[in-house]
Amino acid sequence: MLEVRGLTLRYPNGKQALTGVDLTVQPGELVVVLGGNGSGKTTLLRCLTRTLAPTAGTVSVAGRDMTALAGEELRQARTSLALVSQHASLVKRRSVRANVASGALGHYSSFMTSLGRLPREELTLAHKYLDEVGLADLAGQRAGTLSGGQAQRVAIARALAQRPRAVLADEPVASLDPEAAEEIMRLLKRLAKNDNLAVLCVLHQIDLAYGHADRVVGIRDGRVAFDLPKEDVARERVHDLYLSQAA
Amino acid sequence: MTTFEDRVRVSVDPKQSRTGFSGAIQFTILLAVVALIVQSLYVVEARPQDLITGAHGMADIIRRAMPPDFSKFRSEIWPTLETIDIAIFGTATGVILALPLAILAAANVTPARWVYALARGIISLCRVVPDLVWALIFVAAVGLGPFPGALAISVHSIGMLGRLFAETIEQMDMAPVDALSLTGARRAQVFTHAVLPSVIPSLLGITLYRLDENIRSSLVLGFVGAGGIGFQLLSAMNLFQYQEVSLLLIIVFVVVLVAERSSAILRAKLG
Repeated sequence: MLEVRGLTLRYPNGKQALTGVDLTVQPGELVVVLGGNGSGKTTLLRCLTRTLAPTAGTVSVAGRDMTALAGEELRQARTSLALVSQHASLVKRRSVRANVASGALGHYSSFMTSLGRLPREELTLAHKYLDEVGLADLAGQRAGTLSGGQAQRVAIARALAQRPRAVLADEPVASLDPEAAEEIMRLLKRLAKNDNLAVLCVLHQIDLAYGHADRVVGIRDGRVAFDLPKEDVARERVHDLYLSQAA
Repeated sequence: MTTFEDRVRVSVDPKQSRTGFSGAIQFTILLAVVALIVQSLYVVEARPQDLITGAHGMADIIRRAMPPDFSKFRSEIWPTLETIDIAIFGTATGVILALPLAILAAANVTPARWVYALARGIISLCRVVPDLVWALIFVAAVGLGPFPGALAISVHSIGMLGRLFAETIEQMDMAPVDALSLTGARRAQVFTHAVLPSVIPSLLGITLYRLDENIRSSLVLGFVGAGGIGFQLLSAMNLFQYQEVSLLLIIVFVVVLVAERSSAILRAKLG
């Protein structure tokens, strides 16, 4: 379970980016965060991954408070929280299989992995994860040769190799065509259900949110504007998020 | 009809004024460049007429250098090998020492600011002192022969490779590095699994180019007693053995050409 309580971030220049954000994502649940540009969505994810240190509040993954950790403890805790970003961020010159297997490196401390070797068992498991995202045939191919949609699916397979408890997705379909975007969202939904993962996904595409989310969270001016099952979210409320930004 | 006010407006048009201003700057720059060249002619005591009067002497040397003395070819094989091996040793040790320094000297992966400054300082020191000066220092320290030459090439390569390696690492796409860091991978794992695979082709290309340059440098280092074919060339010239000199120049030409072409072909394959 991913649990955020009272998350607040104020930048040193005094700008308030997040104010008392509360949200919970249960295992097996796909929650979509919607909001206009500058509303605080990406800042929220950066606080969850601890690339930004929140001013106040807590972020718990499987009951472990990430905000209280630092150094080696934080590194270890990060293995339980995977991030799929807008760009797949693969090492282009390595094979698809090696990219996926490298997601598990945080679980290993052997000297050989520090010398660039990948554990044999992880290379075998990489096939399983690639099979889950429908790309087992491309395991030996260089990551740099993949299409945008394929690369994003490999990034999801890498996230699975991490064996996380929760997955964060930061606009994972922003650079994809509608068909590939639909496919990625179906995949995230399936993984949430099949692997019992808590998935929090930041999106701009309202239709995709309605199509795949279990719950929709609206963010405006760094605050949670609503947090409801998708059936209960009127389209006008979602459009308001973007209108208030335009105004 | 154009009024007086229009004409005044045109005459103070900022665009036109800027053009006139930049024209003055261009003329000043041109004058400065000409002055720079003229002063260099004065300082180097350039006497083009000496080239004409010295042509006879040069023609005499060329005549005495012909035909090249191929009977000495066998005895030049070892010095040639020495020259190539000075470059190989210098490049290999240069790479081994430059890589860790470059990691510390790359702003995006260095562990601390003071480490960055220290690594950059060492790299600069190795680079700014010419390899010929390093060779003189090492000849004084360890005596004549190929070893001081190899050490000189090595130290200078640390400087040259360290800087280029660090710049390559700094220019790499950091997204895969950040992505792997966020999976909980350790620092060393991130380096070997994300940084190195991304930059290795560039580093290999730079190394091959450096090897090519080092072969050229090692030819010259023999002139200060650091072994190799340069030492043979100096000895032959001092003894007026111009036919041997011409043989050595042919060997130098072939070695440099082969090194240059091989390096270019391998770098093209890496690209």
